[in-house]
Amino acid sequence: MLARHAESLFWTGRYIERAESTARMLDVTYHGLLEANAYEAEPAWRELLSVLRLDADFRERGGGASAASVSSFLVLDEENGGSIISAVERARENIRSVRELVPIELWEAVNSFHLDLRARNLRRDLDQQPYVLYKLVKQRCQLIAGVASETMPREDGWRFLQIGWTLERAEMACRLLDVRYAAQPELSDFHHWQSTLKSASAFEAYRKAHRSSMDPSDVVAFLLLSRTFPRSVLFCLRRAERELGLLSGSDAPMTRPERLLGRVRADLEFTDVRDIVGGGLHSFLERLQHAVRQVAEAVALQYFRNSQELLLTALDFRPAGAGPAPSSPGVT
Amino acid sequence: MAMNLFDDYDDGGFFDEVFDHEGNVRPHYRSLVKRFAELTPEELARRVRLRDDSFRTQGITFTVYGEEEGLERTFPMDLFPRVIPHDEWTTVRDGLVQRVTALNTFLDDLYVGERAVIADRIVPNWLVTSSSGFRREASGVHVPGNARCLVAGIDLVRDADGTYRVLEDNVRNPSGISYVLENRASMTRVFPSAFADLSVCSVSHYGTMLLDALRNVAPPAAGDDPTVVVLTPGVYNAAYFEHVFLARQMGVELVEGRDLVVDEHVVAMRTTRGLQRVDVIYRRIDDEFLDPVAFRPDSSLGIPGLMAAARGGNVTIANAVGNGVADDKAVYAYVPELIRYYLGEEPILANVDSYLLWDDDQRALVLERLDELVVKPVAESGGYGVCIGPSASDEELDDVRRRVLADPRNYVAQEVVALSRHPTLVDDRFKGRHVDLRPFVLTGERVDVVPGGLTRVALREGSLVVNSSQGGGSKDTWVLSDEVGGGDVEGLD
Repeated sequence: MLARHAESLFWTGRYIERAESTARMLDVTYHGLLEANAYEAEPAWRELLSVLRLDADFRERGGGASAASVSSFLVLDEENGGSIISAVERARENIRSVRELVPIELWEAVNSFHLDLRARNLRRDLDQQPYVLYKLVKQRCQLIAGVASETMPREDGWRFLQIGWTLERAEMACRLLDVRYAAQPELSDFHHWQSTLKSASAFEAYRKAHRSSMDPSDVVAFLLLSRTFPRSVLFCLRRAERELGLLSGSDAPMTRPERLLGRVRADLEFTDVRDIVGGGLHSFLERLQHAVRQVAEAVALQYFRNSQELLLTALDFRPAGAGPAPSSPGVT
Repeated sequence: MAMNLFDDYDDGGFFDEVFDHEGNVRPHYRSLVKRFAELTPEELARRVRLRDDSFRTQGITFTVYGEEEGLERTFPMDLFPRVIPHDEWTTVRDGLVQRVTALNTFLDDLYVGERAVIADRIVPNWLVTSSSGFRREASGVHVPGNARCLVAGIDLVRDADGTYRVLEDNVRNPSGISYVLENRASMTRVFPSAFADLSVCSVSHYGTMLLDALRNVAPPAAGDDPTVVVLTPGVYNAAYFEHVFLARQMGVELVEGRDLVVDEHVVAMRTTRGLQRVDVIYRRIDDEFLDPVAFRPDSSLGIPGLMAAARGGNVTIANAVGNGVADDKAVYAYVPELIRYYLGEEPILANVDSYLLWDDDQRALVLERLDELVVKPVAESGGYGVCIGPSASDEELDDVRRRVLADPRNYVAQEVVALSRHPTLVDDRFKGRHVDLRPFVLTGERVDVVPGGLTRVALREGSLVVNSSQGGGSKDTWVLSDEVGGGDVEGLD
């Protein structure tokens, strides 16, 4: 398939997942801080911006970090490329450019999500019922995932969509853990970890695996390493690895993205969580995110921009503005 | 009898496609008129809804320029199809094949031949070189089989006598074929019974015809299985729907300029498996945007180095670059001469009487009669910039006079043709509306015409402008595959 089409599907997956994960993080942060006072809340909101790598952008806007200012920055600020409304807009731009290649229902699901968000009074939602808004975002993203799954043939286009989707989710899952771990009041706060699990829709699955305890290292281990829970980092990496393998074919030599991803996945799988919960979780998650980003870059080099093209770009032979349309704020 | 839909039908003194001057239904229309006459208003309304649903859900639209933003509109199809009898079509078809054959030869002569047509003083050199469609960069670029006008859309009109005349040639990037196919598909769903009485030539093989023609012009180096692509400017182009449609019909990739690269004078598309060689490009981008190295350096739609690759014989661009010189409306006036010169035949299809405005005598006569004539810019298409004298205001006529005097080479004047009319559904009645016909002519191993073409209708009462961009509609166009037996359908009177 055309490299441009593959890239558009890859970014469609990424942006939809970014919208959903951002809604989940906002939801859990907002509700966790309802009873906190402003002095306690400000650092927590700053921490959220920091793990999303949007703290510098937010500072440029001026003003303090509060539930209202950070929420509107992350939900409805069109200037912020990492906001939910921007992510959905970009997902729509990407799927629009491959509209003729995807099932009509998939285009409609993304387009109507975009239109519905535009038609809503998001500011009032944030004032009065953020829970309803976040739930809506989650549901619409899941609807899009479901439509894609039920209508797309399992060919290359599907694989690129899935790879974008799962790599983004793995990275955002790391960020969720990071922000929740940094914000924990005490290691054993039951409610804190319960809401963390809930924000990943993981509470019930976790309960089945660990009936009595709410030990932070068990929660971290679950969200990082579960082989069965679809929002765990390991699960996402394994799924991306499988799709990458199917893309290159079983008898072909491993591609660079496959080798990089295989290594990240193996490193993660052989990690003992007890070694990192304590002082080292933050830097571990940072390294993991960095490795996932490298996989995404390798996918781009392997499939979207071959060496020929890079050479031409370096020599500036290509007309201005003719590069691949989607940019990648927040994930570079 | 209950003939509600045709009550008060008035041919307005024009040639009517359906009724003769005595008001009798022409033989090839009898069965259709009978079927329409039998429809109740409710039944008619139901079919109108059926048609509208089918067009809306398929998203068949075009974009109108000149407004604040590109406006997407549907191109409304009238329910009453146009019917062309077999023998009439045979003449039209032969005339089109003759004309396109001459145009292909003319273009080959200019770009890769000896320019005999100029040496023999058939066409003046200055006229060719001053045409905005002439491209020096195309000199020496060969097209296998001389198929320079691979797809031609020749606009025909019928005058007061019903004689078919060529109004203009479109040999750059003629669009509209997707409507021909979609109109037919829609008619078979909305009015299946109407097909039962007549034997109508199919148009559904167009995708195969086009792909065959495109593969036929592949460079010899491409081998037995050349790779063909459709090149589009992108989603914001007026005819994007058609580009998608054609790529799908042919089962080939729809690419944009940024999907293609040229290396060592070979064109390749960027796929997820690396670069894949491209042999034939059916481009729907105008010449000047094709290659920023050869033409406009600011074009981001094109592919740097494409012209050099074509010159090297590594890729074929269809339609060929530089065809605009042949549909320049001043060169148009010479086409009958070109047919005589190259083919040694008399033109089967006549031109509309035209006046060349750089000629002092002709210009003087035209300026006296501006209010009776049509004045057109020579290089525009889509009906932009056309002034129809009889319906123009004094200010418009003054404006045209100024423009002609400032740049006589770039305008041409034509007699107003009393375009034939066809009953067209307006609200709940049939009214006479002016029509033209754009058949599509393909140059493959031989020159061939898709039966029928796009019949365009000027929906506004009295209007002569049928372009989709100027408020026109369309009709499905039926070419009958054999003679109509008069006996099996009763007359109406």
